[in-house]
Amino acid sequence: MFFDSQPGSITELFAGRSWTSREIILRVGARIQYFQRVGLRGGDRVFVQYGNKLEFFVDLLAVWYLGASLVPIDSRLTAYEIENLARAVMPRFMLIDSAADAATLAGLTTAGVQVIDVRDWLASGDDRPGLSPIPCRANLDDEALILFTSGSTGIPKGVVHTHRSLRARWLSLRECLGVQAYRRTLCLLPTHFGHGLICNSLFPWLAGQDLVIAPPFNTAALMQLGAVIDEHKITFLSSVPSMWGLTLKASKPPQSKTLRRVHCGSAPLSGHLWRQIQEWAGTNEVFNAYGITETGSWVAGTSVGTFVPQDGLVGVPWGAVIKILKGAGAGTPFDPDAQCRAEEPGYIWLNTPALMRGYYGQPGLTDQVISGGWFITGDIGLVDQRGWLYLKGREREEINKGGTKIYPADIDAVVERFDRTKEVCVFAQADPLYGQSVAMAIVLRDDATTTIRDLRDWMTRHLAEFKMPTRWYSVASLPRNSRGKISRKDVAELCAQKQPLDLQSILKAK
Amino acid sequence: MEREQKKSNLINYLRTIQRPDFPLADIEGDLSLVESGLIDSLALLQIISYLEQTYGIDFREKGIDPGELGSVNAILEFIERETAA
Repeated sequence: MFFDSQPGSITELFAGRSWTSREIILRVGARIQYFQRVGLRGGDRVFVQYGNKLEFFVDLLAVWYLGASLVPIDSRLTAYEIENLARAVMPRFMLIDSAADAATLAGLTTAGVQVIDVRDWLASGDDRPGLSPIPCRANLDDEALILFTSGSTGIPKGVVHTHRSLRARWLSLRECLGVQAYRRTLCLLPTHFGHGLICNSLFPWLAGQDLVIAPPFNTAALMQLGAVIDEHKITFLSSVPSMWGLTLKASKPPQSKTLRRVHCGSAPLSGHLWRQIQEWAGTNEVFNAYGITETGSWVAGTSVGTFVPQDGLVGVPWGAVIKILKGAGAGTPFDPDAQCRAEEPGYIWLNTPALMRGYYGQPGLTDQVISGGWFITGDIGLVDQRGWLYLKGREREEINKGGTKIYPADIDAVVERFDRTKEVCVFAQADPLYGQSVAMAIVLRDDATTTIRDLRDWMTRHLAEFKMPTRWYSVASLPRNSRGKISRKDVAELCAQKQPLDLQSILKAK
Repeated sequence: MEREQKKSNLINYLRTIQRPDFPLADIEGDLSLVESGLIDSLALLQIISYLEQTYGIDFREKGIDPGELGSVNAILEFIERETAA
């Protein structure tokens, strides 16, 4: 195997399929032979449109073994978005396991990508498990993973991790957290998501722990989570705060006392919800995990012994040095003299061996966030007298919809290209279910209902459904600051005084 | 409250949380609310809150099979079962 440790077993939660560690290794061997036959070589990039299933993890190891890198793609993206990502990263292959629509296939072919339907291979009966006949081709500093965090409709921002940075993350976590609590890990998060893939799944699984994998954010799993934990003897799961609304309302707590630890990350965790999760889970080891895709996800958390859940509390670093500085201008060098005192809020800077190599093909953008090995997070926080990190806010533009990050500029870029748009500004609105939801202020050349419907159709063709704004505000003009710039905060304040369009009535009149 | 009234109230509520471009009138009583795209999966939390507030059902005490909230008819049957108890 490529790794010096044996991966654990994997079980699919609802499909009932399960492969042992040995079976996985043999299937990786078969997959390596297959990928060799289709011409996969070291340095290639491979898009994978499926996730959260056994084959995804086997293909990941096989691709890595051959020295190539894997690019997990959110299966909800439109053909337009997938083609845009492909043009930016130029993968040689895209693996699919369900019927891709004609538009997606045409777009990928135009971009020079070879689409492989792995179902054809399985149907050929040529998938007999076996050991790989060749030695591992991967090197520690090869690209291993590219995870897109934004730019699906514009200039994609693909976070590049090498085997070195990923291994640094896993070794750090192992040192800080051990692996015992992760003996049987449940992943409810998507595997195209740094949190779900690098930390929730790969960290325990590649350390030989068993993984139980569910379809992402699956309602049935969330509503029966207590029973799932009992049935599969789950010791650990990670989560995002919005998942817990459904579980705390609908699922009985686990009874079997197997659950030892829970992580919650990717969105702010309130002290109130935190205590409810502890009570439901029957363990105080509910850790708020602070992570960023660029740092290999989890980089700090509440492994501090006894603590009282509080809004904003994170805890101690996991394989990172955390500093709070008074400034965080793009590309500015780390200034040790600009450090904040204990308890004084400022900008969070991180130094970790798990830092990404950079954004794919974007050296300028990379230089804005990495300065002398330090990562400028854009988050605001403080470190108290005990050395515990607290998050106090963030200056990044993303909209955090239930833990899924949506970048308003991606939506702006699609709406701006609609022929009757004069101006657009997408912004976050508070949402009781998701924490934040997507809203949009538009200035159109005319307010006719046909224009609204046409715009909705245009957006549906170009944007994944989860990014669609739920509230639309038609405005005469967008407010600008003294430098002529549109501030999303000002637009949100303007729209808070207005009624959104009645989209249901407008679209029903179709 | 009669079943038809409960159904009407439920549909009126679903209109407030559904995707804007989905023709609710076209939904068969047994069609899956989530799989059909009418609502997204986490919006089931809103339906649970509606049932708690409207019918006083305590889900935490009972636990629930997601299939029981899967369609308009399933929800109506669930309400009848729970309120008859």
